[in-house]
Amino acid sequence: MRRTLMTSTLALLAITTAGCATMNVSSHVDRAVDFAQYRTYEWGPADALPTGDPRLDKDPFFQDHLEGAVEQQLAAKGLARSASGTPDLLIHYHANISERIDVNRLDRERGYCYGDGCQVRVVNFEAGTLVVDIIDARTNRLVWRGWAQHSVADMLKDRDRMAERIDEAVARMLERLPRSALVTSGGSPAPTGGK
Amino acid sequence: MTPSRLAGSLLAVLAALTVAGCASMNTGSFVMRGVDFSAYRTYNWGPAETMATGDPRLDNNRFFHERVQEDVEKHLAIRGFEKRTAGTPDLVLHYHASIDQEIDTSGMDQQYGCDDCRPFVYDAGTLTLDLVDTRTNKLIWRGWAERSIGGAIDKQEWMERQVDEAVTRILEKLPRRL
Repeated sequence: MRRTLMTSTLALLAITTAGCATMNVSSHVDRAVDFAQYRTYEWGPADALPTGDPRLDKDPFFQDHLEGAVEQQLAAKGLARSASGTPDLLIHYHANISERIDVNRLDRERGYCYGDGCQVRVVNFEAGTLVVDIIDARTNRLVWRGWAQHSVADMLKDRDRMAERIDEAVARMLERLPRSALVTSGGSPAPTGGK
Repeated sequence: MTPSRLAGSLLAVLAALTVAGCASMNTGSFVMRGVDFSAYRTYNWGPAETMATGDPRLDNNRFFHERVQEDVEKHLAIRGFEKRTAGTPDLVLHYHASIDQEIDTSGMDQQYGCDDCRPFVYDAGTLTLDLVDTRTNKLIWRGWAERSIGGAIDKQEWMERQVDEAVTRILEKLPRRL
């Protein structure tokens, strides 16, 4: 009985933690920092870390689209690109692709098999993680980090899909950023991809 | 709160409960034989480690790293150690965190019967703490804790609680000074 309970809990755990089909978005924040004090930002020096995948390293389409999406979301948050050369915040990003495995989750979820008909099948997939760091330029300390994770299999060859995923990732990530006092409109950012 | 977001939160809580309920933490330590711990009083942190953790969410993540260091410092202070940033301390501390994906096949042990005989995949987090004698430059003690971390990184408070628990459990293994 105990064993049955344990197994079902573990199965539930496996399902809830496997982040392959839906985009997983979250963030960490310095709770002692008042984000209303920040008004301007600038891009920090480019990240020298490799992404773990040559298809994404130095891909100008990926970088341009990502930077554009971040700038758009920051503007919506009331943060302006610094004109003076002394921004309040520095923005960095890092993309990473790593190989992950999963155990025949999809077969069951999609109803391709039932009960004993479900053979154990290990699925390999490429998980992409996009990390955006926001650094206080004065203290040079990280004040916020957001990330989004998704399988990248379908987007490396499809620019439209990639653009869509980047937009969703950046919008949902930066929705979590504490709001600057400069935002005057009452509405909160439109929820995206909340399914 | 939209229904889908509410459902998401409930699911997260449920996941938190299932992880907390079933995943136990493994801890262990090595100690160099013949070492007299009463000879050590002061410590400092060694140079920051550049090795990747295996999870891009944790690399260079000060919210994670500062929590580990604060916890260790708190426990060592209780144990009578003193942090010394000037001069040479008796001990230099290093730590390393890593995340690995692992497969558990124990559920497939059909001899005892199981409802859902499938292997499952989980993320295992390991935190290792090293104490090095600055006089001999030898590792005198290493403690570690390992557990399935579930979705802990995605929830800042949950991650902090797991770090707290890991550091507490690791330093419980440190020999008492007489």
